[in-house]
Amino acid sequence: MRYFLIVIMFLLSLVLPGTVFHFWSWSGIKPDLLMLFTIYIAMHHSLPSSVCWGLGAGLLEDLYLGRYIGMYTLTLALVAFFSYWLAERWYRENFILTTFMVFLVTAVGQILIAFLSLGTGLQWSLGDIAHLVMGISFYNAVLVPITYPLIHRSFLRGWLRYRPRYER
Amino acid sequence: MRKRVNLTGIAVLVFFLLLSVLISIRLTGLGSHFPNPVGGFLQSVLSPIEKSILQLGNEIKDNTKVIWNFREVQIENEALLKKVDQLTGDNLQLKEQVLAGMRFTELDQGQFRNPTLEKYEKVGASVIDRNSTSWYRTLTLNRGSKDGVAANDPVIGALGLIGKVISVSPTTSEALLILDGEGQVSALVRGSDGSGTFGIVQGNYKRGSRLTSDGNLQMLFRREDNVNAGDLVLTAGAGGVYPKDVPIGKVVEIQLDPTGLLKTAFIKPLVNFDSLEEAYIVKTAGGK
Repeated sequence: MRYFLIVIMFLLSLVLPGTVFHFWSWSGIKPDLLMLFTIYIAMHHSLPSSVCWGLGAGLLEDLYLGRYIGMYTLTLALVAFFSYWLAERWYRENFILTTFMVFLVTAVGQILIAFLSLGTGLQWSLGDIAHLVMGISFYNAVLVPITYPLIHRSFLRGWLRYRPRYER
Repeated sequence: MRKRVNLTGIAVLVFFLLLSVLISIRLTGLGSHFPNPVGGFLQSVLSPIEKSILQLGNEIKDNTKVIWNFREVQIENEALLKKVDQLTGDNLQLKEQVLAGMRFTELDQGQFRNPTLEKYEKVGASVIDRNSTSWYRTLTLNRGSKDGVAANDPVIGALGLIGKVISVSPTTSEALLILDGEGQVSALVRGSDGSGTFGIVQGNYKRGSRLTSDGNLQMLFRREDNVNAGDLVLTAGAGGVYPKDVPIGKVVEIQLDPTGLLKTAFIKPLVNFDSLEEAYIVKTAGGK
């Protein structure tokens, strides 16, 4: 059930930005839901499984978008690593701190995407990149108070909780 | 006893992993033809869901427009009432000019039905998804390689150019709009005297203000070039992607460069990208 739910949330994270958030975009800026969900997963898993989930989510997005295969794979793996590293040091029950953490990690992830895009020869101005990075990070942070309490509770006690083999 | 960690081994592994990812990113860029069966499967599974959500969203938006944009609708209503009065007055005058008007309509339609476009096969497509990520202005269309669509095929609306296909799955394709800074088009500006001036049309939208529908295309010219507001901009047919003479937009403003050597023409696209629901894919890449 847990894996099925995670896959469904991954797929929703791919579908919603182009559909629902098309109507809720702020000057064209939409949240990066897959990055947000990867951060949540990394906050509730061990380091190796966080990075594996990040790699899987990134590869899924790369294949879905059908271009620059590897860009999101690399980015979301690093995002998962960074999220895990921060969650180890910060108190993950504190929702305000988590909001700030999501803002910070999303900004790092988006900067990495911009950096890799520039590396492939795309010509984007630094002003545009800053605008977009801040916008997406802010939007992701705004979604934390709405989504994180539910997801966090589910990871601790609900359907998303990891059950060891002996318990299953 | 603690396990020994081979740091050099990890460093070499990470290095080669990074290298292979960077090579993969480079090889699978915009408009590349690489096989992506998993992506194709994902698109074919998710596209009906995306289409339904987008349709539902459009319907909700249209039906609740009056609530969200009350002031706007009120102003629009007042303006329309004034226009009705004015149009009633102008009606008699217009009847006298009806023949001239018919000739103009013929000319206007002729611009789109041009001989270069006629020779290609076109396939109609519906928009099922918009801007999957915030980094690009793209549309996902419900036609893919099964319908003969290939990367770099031009996408055209009833009024003019929309963009080009950058990635294709068996059932869907993603089109990069001309509004995107990455989607440059070789174009020529047709002046009122029939003369043509060549240049490159580029989307000038800033990421973050991309939803502004006015003046989001621009072209650079020398100061002495004969380009004026109101001139029609068409594709030049150079570059191998877009056919010749497809309308792009109309010049709405000319601004002189501070150095005085260049001038920038701001172009209003003929297509309203925000409310676009259908488009034509012209099969130039595969069906030449």
